[in-house]
Amino acid sequence: MGEEDAFEKKKSHRDRHSGRKADKKKTKKANLNPVEELTAKQRNPKAFAFNSAIRAERKFRRKQDIDTKKQHIPLVDRSPIEPPPILIAVVGPPKVGKTTVINNLIKLFTKSPLSDIKGPVTIVTGKKRRITIVECNNDINSMIDLAKVCDLALLLCDASFGFEMEVFEFLNICQVHGMPRIMGVLTHLDMIKNSKTLKTTKKTLKHRFWTEVYPGAKLFYLSGIIHGEYLRNEIKNLGRFISVMKFRPLLWRQNHSYILGDRYEDLTNQELIRQNPKCDRKISLYGYIRGVPLKKENSVHIAGFGDLKIQDISYLPDPCPLPDAIKKRALVEKEKLVYAPFSGVGGIVYDKDAVYVEMPNSQSQMKKNEDSETSNIFTNLIETKETADFKRENWKLQIFTGDNKITDFDNEDFSQLEQNKIDSTKNYKEEAVEDSGRIRRKVIFDNNDEAEISDSDNEDSVVEQDNTEVKSAPKPKKDEDIQSKIKEVLTNLENKSAPIEQDLDSSDSEEMEEDEDSDSEVEDNDNEEDMAVEWKQNLVKKAKDAFLERISTSQNLMKLVYGVFDAQYQKAQQETQNEASSDEEDIGGIFKKVSKDQQKKKLEKDNMNLTESPLMFPWNTVTKDWTEEENKVLIANCFVTGKWKDSEDASELLKLDDTQNLSDVDGDFEDLETGIKHEAGQKRKREDDEKDDKADKEALAEKKRKLKEKFDSEYDNTDKSSYYDELKMTAEKQAQLNKTVFDNMPDDVRVQVEGFRPGMYVRIEFEDVPSEFITNFDPTYPLVIGSLNMGEENIGYVNVKIKKHRWYSKILKTSDPLIISLGWRRFQTIPLYSKLEDDLKSRYLKYTPEHLACNAHFWGPITPQSTGFLALQSVDSNPEILKKQGFRIAATGSVQELDKTTQIMKKLKLIGYPLKIYKKTAFIKGMFNSALEVAKFEGARIKTVSGVRGQIKKAASKPEGCFRATFEDKILLSDIVFCRTWYKVDVPEYYNPVTTLLLPPDQKNQWKGVRTTGEIKRDKNLRNPTNVDSLYTPIAREEKPFKPLVVPAKLQKALPYRDKPNHGVKSTDKKKSIDRVAVIREPHEQKVANMIKMIKASYQHKQAKLKEETKQRMEKHRQEVSAQEASKDRKIKQKKKAVFRSKSKAQISQEKKGNK
Amino acid sequence: MTTATKKGNTLHYKGSNFLKQRLVLSVLSGKPVKITEIRTLDDEPGLKEYEVSLVRLLDKITNGTTVELNNSGTELYFQPGLLLGGTFEHECSCQRGIGYYLESLFMLGFFCKQPIKATLKGVTCNNIDPSVDCFKSSFMETLKRFVYDDEGLDLKISKRGMLPLGGGEVTFKCPIKTKLRPVQIVDSGMVKRIRGTAYALRVSPAMANRMVEKAKGVLLNFLPDVYISTDQCKGKQAGRSPGFGVHLYAETTQGVMYSSEQVSNNVSQGEDPSIPEDIGVAAAQRLLYHIFLGGVVDSSCQALLILNMALGPKDVSKAVTGPLTDYTIGLLRHLREFFGVTFKIEHFEQESQGAGMGKILLTCVGIGYSNISKRTI
Repeated sequence: MGEEDAFEKKKSHRDRHSGRKADKKKTKKANLNPVEELTAKQRNPKAFAFNSAIRAERKFRRKQDIDTKKQHIPLVDRSPIEPPPILIAVVGPPKVGKTTVINNLIKLFTKSPLSDIKGPVTIVTGKKRRITIVECNNDINSMIDLAKVCDLALLLCDASFGFEMEVFEFLNICQVHGMPRIMGVLTHLDMIKNSKTLKTTKKTLKHRFWTEVYPGAKLFYLSGIIHGEYLRNEIKNLGRFISVMKFRPLLWRQNHSYILGDRYEDLTNQELIRQNPKCDRKISLYGYIRGVPLKKENSVHIAGFGDLKIQDISYLPDPCPLPDAIKKRALVEKEKLVYAPFSGVGGIVYDKDAVYVEMPNSQSQMKKNEDSETSNIFTNLIETKETADFKRENWKLQIFTGDNKITDFDNEDFSQLEQNKIDSTKNYKEEAVEDSGRIRRKVIFDNNDEAEISDSDNEDSVVEQDNTEVKSAPKPKKDEDIQSKIKEVLTNLENKSAPIEQDLDSSDSEEMEEDEDSDSEVEDNDNEEDMAVEWKQNLVKKAKDAFLERISTSQNLMKLVYGVFDAQYQKAQQETQNEASSDEEDIGGIFKKVSKDQQKKKLEKDNMNLTESPLMFPWNTVTKDWTEEENKVLIANCFVTGKWKDSEDASELLKLDDTQNLSDVDGDFEDLETGIKHEAGQKRKREDDEKDDKADKEALAEKKRKLKEKFDSEYDNTDKSSYYDELKMTAEKQAQLNKTVFDNMPDDVRVQVEGFRPGMYVRIEFEDVPSEFITNFDPTYPLVIGSLNMGEENIGYVNVKIKKHRWYSKILKTSDPLIISLGWRRFQTIPLYSKLEDDLKSRYLKYTPEHLACNAHFWGPITPQSTGFLALQSVDSNPEILKKQGFRIAATGSVQELDKTTQIMKKLKLIGYPLKIYKKTAFIKGMFNSALEVAKFEGARIKTVSGVRGQIKKAASKPEGCFRATFEDKILLSDIVFCRTWYKVDVPEYYNPVTTLLLPPDQKNQWKGVRTTGEIKRDKNLRNPTNVDSLYTPIAREEKPFKPLVVPAKLQKALPYRDKPNHGVKSTDKKKSIDRVAVIREPHEQKVANMIKMIKASYQHKQAKLKEETKQRMEKHRQEVSAQEASKDRKIKQKKKAVFRSKSKAQISQEKKGNK
Repeated sequence: MTTATKKGNTLHYKGSNFLKQRLVLSVLSGKPVKITEIRTLDDEPGLKEYEVSLVRLLDKITNGTTVELNNSGTELYFQPGLLLGGTFEHECSCQRGIGYYLESLFMLGFFCKQPIKATLKGVTCNNIDPSVDCFKSSFMETLKRFVYDDEGLDLKISKRGMLPLGGGEVTFKCPIKTKLRPVQIVDSGMVKRIRGTAYALRVSPAMANRMVEKAKGVLLNFLPDVYISTDQCKGKQAGRSPGFGVHLYAETTQGVMYSSEQVSNNVSQGEDPSIPEDIGVAAAQRLLYHIFLGGVVDSSCQALLILNMALGPKDVSKAVTGPLTDYTIGLLRHLREFFGVTFKIEHFEQESQGAGMGKILLTCVGIGYSNISKRTI
């Protein structure tokens, strides 16, 4: 009823339109018309008058508080223009339908389901959005790794079962490592048959989820499965939510770049592997860069493996690009790409003895432009019909047109030649490389093009070729090497060609330019050298000339500073330097080793030991005379007395304003100061000019209007331009600058300056990777490659704030090994717990407090402060252990401090015993072993057990280690004297990365590190030898027999009667005997008693009967009354009905009449 | 300049040039360096006294540093620890000025565990290093651009000391910061005032006035607002050796400070005694030269500027400088080797003529360096 009332619309008041009241109102309105529009405050200012300063202050403060609470420190938005695919992790315990959800999502977005999904799948879902979906297997290692990288976690839960531990563990992991967006998905809802239970389950699960994530977090219900798929509508909704989701930047990911590897290749020479299958491998990993730009110099950490140096990194064309034009409304079928190399889509799948290539059809995409050398080379490799040996014999290489072709026989030292070439180009002879490069590229692509054509011919067919063919062929050792070398060089050239082409614009020919450059560089070096030799001489003139020359001739300052501007090239250069092969003779008649090398070395030698000073020249070098007129001109405008910039010059600005005003007037006037006459008529004569003027004027007016608006807005709301707003604005500006500043740079230079920006698809090469990484590779384990910032690859003592998780059943013991997930890393280490005392001393703790945070020190990787971490006691997914463990996350916390030393102190009490006691002096023995030790502790405070304080004075000679001490009072010989000191405890330097990726697939979730002593003892069935002293034994105390109390007779006599010792019978005894009197009745008495008993019984029976009868009677009466009542009601109802009926009839008839 | 060869994490260099840069960058990056062939062909091979003193200073402000020096001193292995800071005193070698040591403190100061309060003793001004006055004006101003709040950043010159014996003393205080800020400084402004200090130590105070007079004579050609104070040091404040000198700085409308310095010749080393008038004129001329070079920092502070730009957050920083000095170019190369930071270097188009030399625009993305020594609560 209440709800209906709320919705029922009340009849509104009807205004009078005529009559007295209406007239009255009309006049009132007419009078008050202007006031009507005012606000209450304006109409009645007195009511709002200021009457309490304190209240006003409070009001103001409250407002400020509320305002300030809303503010967050503005972060610079570092997201790139074309972001990487959004990473969606599908997480949940086993058998909740993760794979089904992924399958359905892929089907939703691409219309073509994938059969066998392994590892990440990247798909284009919209015009501006791509997603990478990855399934998280039921391993806490994977959960940790994915929580660190995913943007969105789909948390699946079996509703028929309820939340499982894994869900909460994952949520906790997320909280620690920066919360990604989390969406809950309830599955198996069709298992709950009862609709009411379904409703309540949904509700309880939802609320539990909300408390864990945030109130109002999205929770999806997938209500059932039809033909092995979820309902289409529900999946569609889920997909829609995913594709419009927005993400907050997370601190860790704002400072680190990371990659989720979606493909890997083993680049090791097959021959080496054949010789030694366990040899270290050279691999390349592929993936989209996420987070912030990645630099080549960064070290990276592969989660579950360890730290690595990037050997080489290059960007590849996007395998799953966004559609180019955004004109269309929706994606065309062709643009709905899928890229999942591990699942065999859009890449190459390696099997034991064959290579499967998915051909470019509607699903996958293999770009056919020349950018993708790698893929070309692979297709090339796959397409080979002849053996490599045969091909090799037929290879021909033409470097210059009209040059003789180099065949395999020249090719014997191909790699050698490569390096030599690089050697020769080291001296800035890029053109040779470039020329040759172009031609060589052609050679490669000749093959490739054919291959690709044939590929496209037999589309949809899976090319299957025996790799063994290639393997078994008597392959030359360097074949593989050459291939990779060619590839490398090609990528080099590819990268290089762009800037050089740019250079071409500015200079006539490349060669000229290059030569010039190198010349100037040499000159420059000469200058430097000269300066070095005669550093303190007057060389300003010369140096200045050099400077001017440098500036005028140099086209590219970067080249001057950084040398040849290509990192890969430099690397090659370094390699050749290292090898230092002495092949200076000509090779093939083309490449000459230039002796500039020597020259350069000499220069280097000279420069090597110069004095370093930030000054351009020493102070006492003589500069030119700046007071001379010609020099004066050069710097005249550097001073405020000189000419200002137009935008800053006050007179210019004034003039601008004036013209503006004048143009407004647009008439004749005379400048009184200068006497110049301005006439409007003159202006009008020049008609064409006028048009321009008009346009200018309009532009100016527009500009002015904008300025005015800006000023107005600034002036009117002064509180807007607060400190916070300023911060926000600078952050925005910075973000804008970050996005735009390198826009016009070619990509290959840009990656040098900026790094490989997020959204790029890159290929990273690593060397010296253990073979287990390849042999035990399992695509279902996420391959997280996280970059390490400066200093993070180092190791040191980490001081963290730690708290045992309240769901973890045990407290943690100091120096028991823990597995910690911190930053990108997972590692085992040995922490020592401590408590920071008020005097900033870290006091050693044996166990973590049960409900308090404490500090822990461990030896581990240096990670920035306030980074979160979590600790586990084991990552073993052994079901038996799991069952025992319950919640696996033992503790959480954050980094506080990093250092190279630790200062954890353990309390230590030295105990001694008095030897001899004088008045307040005593000799104490047993505390120290030698006089030297005593000397170290002279003046230390000591204390007895009874609390008498004292001081150590001096060592005594007789028993070694005995000393004299003074106390505030005389101590007892039975006292124990102790001295409180602190003992430094060292943190063990144990750091062991958890290498789950290297374990064989079936043992990946069974990584084991160091065991605790307890575990070792349990395993070996050892027991601690018990200290007999510590055992508890029942204390047998002898009863002490006291002497009987004897009151002297004399005293007894004097005592009052009451206190006199009582020698007679005790009163209680008397009572007892009185109570227990047996009653033996006479025969008559017995008869009477029996009689009375019988009467009593019959009476009771009668009473009970009576009661029962009354009850029945009452019941009967009640029924009668209620029946009467009911009949009465019925009658009343009937009567009412009749009345209302007649009433309504009457009304209807009345209305009808009225209508008529 | 030799390029580094990397072996694992260690960077290998040859020669003693840029030793300070290499060690400072090593401390900042945590990468060990090995420097070989230090003056192997010289008459006095190996590290010089002043360089050893620098290594000592770096050892003082770090925790866990390992330094290995071979017998002849021609090979140095430096494994840096974490920056500690705190209060300490350092006796600088008189072969170089205090400026040589102070620069490294300016570069490292923000990233220590505790705020630095360093007392450096030695030669306050010489011919090859920026003097402490330069640090107080130009360097300090450069450093302040990179922090939001410069409270606690201070340099106090308590004693002045000239060659050969020194005896000067400065106190450098530096707060700790977690992060630097990115800068975009393109406008250097115009010189609005010129200030300076002339000092005469253990010589007639008239010397200072004579220098002031001549320096003003030159500078008044360009700007009316010139004021040069004289600093008369007495007793211990005047150090251990006689001499005089003048320090001038020009401040622009944008707060940029160009500074120049002149000191008298070291008579005890057999050089001709200098004339105060000449010193005054030379200082003024040198200041004009620095104004000519221009940029948003003084040419001597370029290194500090680019280092702090590179260490900034992962945002774009921009700055316009005059022609790069060799020292700066060295640092640019070293930054690339230690941090992988490459600067975009291009010519900067100026609007007006007669505003000094052609400028260079440096653009870089910072590495997001943060103070890993600081303790959080």
